[in-house]
Amino acid sequence: MSEFELLRNITIGQYLPTGSYLHTLDPRAKIVAAILVTAAVSFTPTLLGNVCLLAACLALVRIGRIPFSYALRGLIPAIPVLVILAMLQLLFFGRNYDPASPVVFQWGWIVVTAAVARLVIVSAARFVELLFVTSVFTLSTRTTELTHGIEALLGSLRRFRVPAHELALVVTIAVRFIPTFALQAERLLRAQASRGGAPGGRRWNFVATTRRLLPILVPLFIFALKRGDELIVAMEARAYTGGEGRTAYTMLRHARTDWLAPAVALAFLLVMLGTAFPF
Amino acid sequence: MCAYIWRAIRLEGGRQMQEMQQTRPGGLSTRGIVISGVLGAIAILLGATRIGFIPMPTGINATIMHVPAIIGGVLEGPVVGGLIGTIFGIYSFLNATTPMFKDPIVAIGPRIFIGIFASWAYLAARPAGEWWAIVVAAVVGTATNTILVLTLGVARHYLPAKVAWTVGLTHGIPEIIVAVILSLAVLLFWKRVQTGPAKARV
Repeated sequence: MSEFELLRNITIGQYLPTGSYLHTLDPRAKIVAAILVTAAVSFTPTLLGNVCLLAACLALVRIGRIPFSYALRGLIPAIPVLVILAMLQLLFFGRNYDPASPVVFQWGWIVVTAAVARLVIVSAARFVELLFVTSVFTLSTRTTELTHGIEALLGSLRRFRVPAHELALVVTIAVRFIPTFALQAERLLRAQASRGGAPGGRRWNFVATTRRLLPILVPLFIFALKRGDELIVAMEARAYTGGEGRTAYTMLRHARTDWLAPAVALAFLLVMLGTAFPF
Repeated sequence: MCAYIWRAIRLEGGRQMQEMQQTRPGGLSTRGIVISGVLGAIAILLGATRIGFIPMPTGINATIMHVPAIIGGVLEGPVVGGLIGTIFGIYSFLNATTPMFKDPIVAIGPRIFIGIFASWAYLAARPAGEWWAIVVAAVVGTATNTILVLTLGVARHYLPAKVAWTVGLTHGIPEIIVAVILSLAVLLFWKRVQTGPAKARV
């Protein structure tokens, strides 16, 4: 019966309380810092730069007091894809990518230049670094903190007609409804199984596979839309008018140490963008 | 006289309804917020439970995680479609198992446009009839996802252009077919529920 237990596999909003500096950090500061570090990772194309980034990301995991096994959990299922992607890049880029680069390996029509070899290593390294950053961020932030943080950060853009409160509410509703819909999907799968139906099918006939999924997917979507309609009526009945003039039960208060993280992240980003790494 | 009063009441009711549905800053009504939230939840659920991946002959899975964005765009317009796409993009960035989708530019950027383009396509094709409009929206939404993701994948040097073309053709077309089937099934059913009871066909 384990194939029907969908809720168990959902790891959204998984939080690992270790009480580290990153856990107690103000969510606004943490979101800003995470975006800055992600930008640093995304825009560093050099090998040496990625060595620095990898070291920084390992330091982040250490500061968050998160076990490495936890932070690297996403890596093992990704290894086959990483290998296939590296093979594709090595086989097909050839001289098309940076033709000036010296050839390091040639066998028949397969040409590997130094630039392509660097590209393969950098894309794998970038993946591992972002895996660390996103795991540390999600494992050290509660979903409520996240939505409060988003609302507070976007709140400063209210002047430009950015609906901060509304956007935060969208995230809250999405996160809140995932378990409800997972339970409903479980129920639909069980109902189908009890009638002799089973999702899945042969790989080569994907249209048939999709059609076999319809008895689960259509009721799931309709259930979601109906629950949505009920919620809309409930909100309108309580005269919900959005974020204007609304007060919050939990107030975010930032200490001076909270701004250390985004400041360090910004300095790091500027250093990474400004340094001309030799290779 | 009675008819006149009745008409006045209905008009007044309609005006109040309009006021209630009035959009707040950024073009988001209560309906827009809630529908974005629930369909965003469905997009995440389809990914987290792996229900949303359909095994393909090529060995890679076709995804239907973008279908909630298309459905949201068709039902509630481009803003809602764009929001659902953004939720899907952020989820796929956070839980990516491939280097290409662990890049926020590739994972989040293109997904914002799925619902927006699907919504515009739906509005443009509406005169041809509901059925065709939904088909066009699903095709445009899915093609937006495939084309933008692969283009950015090539631009960011994750994929050689040849591989991107192969993936686009062997993978994009089945994904479009699957998205059309699902969007039609859900939207035709939902719209019929809204417009009145269906007649039993026994």
